[in-house]
Amino acid sequence: MSVNIDHLKEEHHQPSGLMRWITTTNHKDIGSLYLWFSLLMFFVGGLMALVIRAELFQPGLQFVVPGFFNQMTTMHALIMIFGAVMPAFVGLANWQLPMMIGAPDMALPRLNNWSFWILPFAFTMLLSTLFFESGGPAAGWTLYPPLSLQGGNSMPFVIFSIHLLGASSILGAINVIATILNMRAPGMTLMKMPIFVWTWLITAFLLIASMPVLAGAITMLLTDRFYGTSFFTAAGGGDPVLFQHIFWFFGHPEVYILILPAFGIVSTIIPAFSRKKLFGYDSMVYATASIALLSFIVWAHHMFTVGMPLAGEIFFMFTTMLIAVPTGVKVFNWVATMWKGSMTFETPMLFALAFIILFTIGGFSGLMLAITPADFQYHDTYFVVAHFHYVLVPGAVFAIIAAVYYWLPKWTGKMYNETLGKIHFWMTTIFVNITFFPMHFVGLAGMPRRIPDYAVQFTDFNMIASVGAFGFGLSQLLFVYILFLTLRQPVTAADKSWEGAEGLEWTLPSPAPYHSFDTPPKVD
Amino acid sequence: MNRLSILIISMLAPLTTLADWEVNMSRGVSPTANAAYDLHMLIFYITVVIGIVVFGVMFYSIYHHRKSKGAKPASFHESTTVEVIWTVIPFVILVGMAIPATKTLIMMEDTRNSEITVKVTGYQWMWKYDYVEDDVSFFSKLADSSNEARQLGSKIDVNKVDNYLLNVDNEMVLPTNTKVRILLTASDVIHAWWVPEITGKKDAIPGYINELWVDIKEPGVYRGQCTELCGKDHGFMPIVVRAVPKQEYTKWVSLNQKNRVADKSK
Amino acid sequence: MTGIKSTITKLSLAVVAMYGFSYALVPIYDTFCEITGLNGKTNEIAYVANDIKEDNRFVTVKFISNVANSAPLYFEPSVSEMTVQVGKPYNTHYVMKNNSSKQLHTTASPSVTPGKHAEYFKKIECFCFNQQTINAGEVKDLGIQFIIDNELPNDSGDIVLSYTMFDISNNIKETNKL
Repeated sequence: MSVNIDHLKEEHHQPSGLMRWITTTNHKDIGSLYLWFSLLMFFVGGLMALVIRAELFQPGLQFVVPGFFNQMTTMHALIMIFGAVMPAFVGLANWQLPMMIGAPDMALPRLNNWSFWILPFAFTMLLSTLFFESGGPAAGWTLYPPLSLQGGNSMPFVIFSIHLLGASSILGAINVIATILNMRAPGMTLMKMPIFVWTWLITAFLLIASMPVLAGAITMLLTDRFYGTSFFTAAGGGDPVLFQHIFWFFGHPEVYILILPAFGIVSTIIPAFSRKKLFGYDSMVYATASIALLSFIVWAHHMFTVGMPLAGEIFFMFTTMLIAVPTGVKVFNWVATMWKGSMTFETPMLFALAFIILFTIGGFSGLMLAITPADFQYHDTYFVVAHFHYVLVPGAVFAIIAAVYYWLPKWTGKMYNETLGKIHFWMTTIFVNITFFPMHFVGLAGMPRRIPDYAVQFTDFNMIASVGAFGFGLSQLLFVYILFLTLRQPVTAADKSWEGAEGLEWTLPSPAPYHSFDTPPKVD
Repeated sequence: MNRLSILIISMLAPLTTLADWEVNMSRGVSPTANAAYDLHMLIFYITVVIGIVVFGVMFYSIYHHRKSKGAKPASFHESTTVEVIWTVIPFVILVGMAIPATKTLIMMEDTRNSEITVKVTGYQWMWKYDYVEDDVSFFSKLADSSNEARQLGSKIDVNKVDNYLLNVDNEMVLPTNTKVRILLTASDVIHAWWVPEITGKKDAIPGYINELWVDIKEPGVYRGQCTELCGKDHGFMPIVVRAVPKQEYTKWVSLNQKNRVADKSK
Repeated sequence: MTGIKSTITKLSLAVVAMYGFSYALVPIYDTFCEITGLNGKTNEIAYVANDIKEDNRFVTVKFISNVANSAPLYFEPSVSEMTVQVGKPYNTHYVMKNNSSKQLHTTASPSVTPGKHAEYFKKIECFCFNQQTINAGEVKDLGIQFIIDNELPNDSGDIVLSYTMFDISNNIKETNKL
């Protein structure tokens, strides 16, 4: 979905071909780079998931040795979180934020280019560790010591690449905040911004506050391993649990980073296809901000079984339950937006509606996990795996897919095939549930996480989940086909490609011109 | 937990024990496992009710407020009253959940007045059990029948192995109807000890000591697994607890004490 | 443009501050643990028993031992439990033997459970965190002197003191190479 810039080339001596993409400082180009990269990483991470699900199809070991299986689970998470979901949201931010606020580009266009190009370099380094003799990282994406300190030669490369990924996110966040705070068109006060802009603004602050803490934690791992410090080893007066505290202080805001932009997308799409304004805009902003603030005081709910004092367990149980309140408020506001609207069910709307239902189911298992005494039975089982996959896959990923279908006509000027889109939706939704719903059951029945083989009573649901996973993977090939088919269409999309769409981007032609809003629009 | 809810839950619970198609956790055989199960079911039912209400409203809206049905969009888009209502009601429901949850947690963390103490140590990849007062000490690792079958390309049908991946060479024996305090630690990396039917899990952390208590009400054999990723054989270090009446336990102790005594003569 | 510059400066400072915060969490965690007895951390500096009076409560203290990473050490308490009077100092010791054929450097790390009572278990003398050198086949007695603080709440049960002995010979060798 790149804009034709031949005429610009002559005027501005801009490079074409490969050099265009390497040196571009244009937010639309960079948005496209992030989105294509994220799609590629989604398939790489997905392939790892299929290795996992193939092995777990039946009890006994059929395909891989346990050590390699652990590398797959570790890498699957790192790739999906840092390579697929986060870059996709940054890509959407790049494409949409300047247009939505009436700005010509991001605040720091050259930094923007660099923030992207760090990613392919970092992921090449990370993925290359799979080919080391000692293998890639295998201690889980959470890298708990002392296990992660036993790691082979991959360890410094993994840490370095995570540092790079963190740097990319931090630089991107600085760019987003600087853009939103300083470059809005005159008349666009904060409380008049599109809700997607709000959710990204808050997400960017979460990134600034949490990613450096991850950097500290992994640096401490590095020095414990190579430079004789003992942050995390009892022999030297340290504590392995200290790592968990520092990691999850980052880790919990991180999961909100993975979902807040999705909330913004859903808050954009539901009103558009209900032909009715978002219900409770102010409330939605405050709820998002509350979630972000609360996300800093719940981290130890990932650690209920470490042996925390009772007071700590109670505190974190209460704060974690509390975070359900603003999240619930958001769900109610979406339903109130739909209520007495005039709905149509094109593909973006289907994904957004599925998001609301399935993310809420993920929220229910989250509420169950918040209850500490019950969590003593759920922790580190497939019940947790089911929970976070529900909020991340039919949660974050569905929102990203919805956003792509929704804004594709604006980016390319071309309409995707609606029938194929609906088929993609139904296949994806059905298979996502076949894959992840049974995981609740095996988790409750006692199956632990991160194991390559299991006791025979867990067979039936694991078989179902594995079939679902392959079906889900194949359905995404249909998505890629739809994208390529769309790009070969003629340009036919209207400026306002959807009847109910609102926002400055829909005042621009479709496809949006390479440079838009060189002069800011007037906002009432 | 009032008697009526306990009655309802225990009447419905048997429905969920259909062998391999296990969809729920077991109610368990100890007060802590029972309490966790009851709380789990309570929260589950509450979320089911909330789900029915919220999704019900959604589906109604999806059906009735369609453009194709001729629906015209209303113009309302805010209401402070409604926002307050749907903030306060969920908050009240949460408080209602928090009260039994807190009571249960306090009960679970109270290890006082235990009759016997067992130190459990996690190793890569097996467990060690040291009965502190009774002077019994041994390692417990995955039984050979499972260990052979689980090798990549073993060609052994795992369905024919008894308690595949959940059997060990030396079982941990405990007396029933006795409050047992379990002290947890590890030798190398973090592990976690979990036998779902007898209690919730806790981490075994090298250099540190954690504790939990169990009081097994029914004799039987209970199986569990390590539940914290601890390296390549994390999935292959199960736990088997054989709960027996006190007299049998005392006999078992005296039979096994000899090993320990032999150790000490240095 | 100055708006953007000011935003960038403030955000960059925030990033650096949060990185520093992650390191600050290390001493914060330690202090928090000592004040609340989290993780069974006991006093690291020898306790001077000035204000403690004997009181008529008795507590059972259990002693356990662990050897980390299957090091070739025998390490056991000389007694596995003592019933002690609150407010009175007591002595006991652990026995360590080097079962290998090489000299080893070792260090011990203590932990008390329940964590909420760790702050009342005061060690007057102990061998924790003092590096020991032990020759092949040598047997050592490692003494501790402790006292239970009067502030111990009335309804407390047994207290368990655990030591984990680590063989740190490899770390010593590496630092000696510098």
